[in-house]
Amino acid sequence: MEKREETCTELFQFGEESEFQSLMSVVPPPETGNSFTALLELPPNQAVMLLHSPEETAPDNFTSPEFLETPNSILPNSSPNNFSLVKQEPVDSDSVHNSSPNMSDPVISKSTKRKERGKNVKSAAKKSKSVANETDGDKLPYVHVRARRGQATDSHSIAERARREKINARMKLLQELVPGCSKITGTAMVLDEIINHVQSLQRQVESGSLMDGNGNFTGMVSPPLSNQIWQPDGLTPQPLWGVEEMNPNFITPENSLLSYDSSRSSVSLHTNQLKMEL
Amino acid sequence: MNLLERTKKIKLSADIALASAKHSATCWSKAIISEAKKDERNTILLNNLSAPKMNFKCTHQNFACLKRIRSRKILKKSCDVGIKMKKLKPRRQVSNLATCIAKRLVKKRTQVLKRLVPGGESMDEYSIIKEALDYILSLRVQVDVMKNLVNATTNFE
Repeated sequence: MEKREETCTELFQFGEESEFQSLMSVVPPPETGNSFTALLELPPNQAVMLLHSPEETAPDNFTSPEFLETPNSILPNSSPNNFSLVKQEPVDSDSVHNSSPNMSDPVISKSTKRKERGKNVKSAAKKSKSVANETDGDKLPYVHVRARRGQATDSHSIAERARREKINARMKLLQELVPGCSKITGTAMVLDEIINHVQSLQRQVESGSLMDGNGNFTGMVSPPLSNQIWQPDGLTPQPLWGVEEMNPNFITPENSLLSYDSSRSSVSLHTNQLKMEL
Repeated sequence: MNLLERTKKIKLSADIALASAKHSATCWSKAIISEAKKDERNTILLNNLSAPKMNFKCTHQNFACLKRIRSRKILKKSCDVGIKMKKLKPRRQVSNLATCIAKRLVKKRTQVLKRLVPGGESMDEYSIIKEALDYILSLRVQVDVMKNLVNATTNFE
């Protein structure tokens, strides 16, 4: 975090573009779905999901250990990789210490092992619903799903269950991402927190843009509140955000994002573009 | 330019820069850029800010995406009606009330989320969660960058 700040300030003082490029080259964008399958294996007792195309992508790009250290890295790349990396930390903490060529193999072997175990667990009342694999660039390929023991074998309910499980997996990711959501049970409350978080982030962006425009302006100006603030039904207690002083002249209530360490490449690109505009 | 206009311009440029950094990989980024393109005053801004790979494909992609989603929704609705007619009777009535309430709550919240995330109105429940996740991450980046900018400019004096 300090290193990045330093480089940003340096840039303003010297206007060097080489810094950006060196930063950008350090973090290669990962292209794999290995982490994605590892993510999906998290509920191993549930229906077997086989994603064919993302598994086969090359593991080379995923090997930079530096990249793995940042907990919530952001990539200017396709979104599945975003979640996979966010999720990767608690799942594969030991793989961080491995050297780069060996890194991808434990991930793949882990996921295949778990799949085999999952298959053996499935027993009677099997009805495999297999659809031809469609590898599209945008959509996920079709998955093979098996009905679990003692559950309805209706094709519709299977599809529904698979869909629900997909949604639940994503909700888990969201819970880990938004601070303070891991203790909450229930989709509605988690969604509440997410909405609050998004709103506060948007407000922060507005106040930030206000400050950028001001420069030396010392008054306290409230950012334009055009959006309606989402009020929950009175069921959830309002979360208390920490108050941080960004600037001695201007105090705004801000969420203290202590655990967040932003990635370098997209940030540097962004800063470059902003700088061009200013 | 007065204060408010300047603020809006800064926010707009930040949003466009953020969206273009995504290289059209996500729906919300395409939505931001296509919305910005509608205004003619923004063309200079867009030309300067957009990453080299991004072209005029974005608007077409967005329209196609929307059409696809809408047709998918219509198809899904017609299927669901048929399924509901079949399933209505054998379904158990025991936990119906609680699940109904829970579903309604979730639906309300997803609607709000759809309004918040740019381009979110034309997405089904699953993809809105995905987009919201990505959007949160990118917003955090944006806030961080702005903080650094502010710190840099204030430390300069």
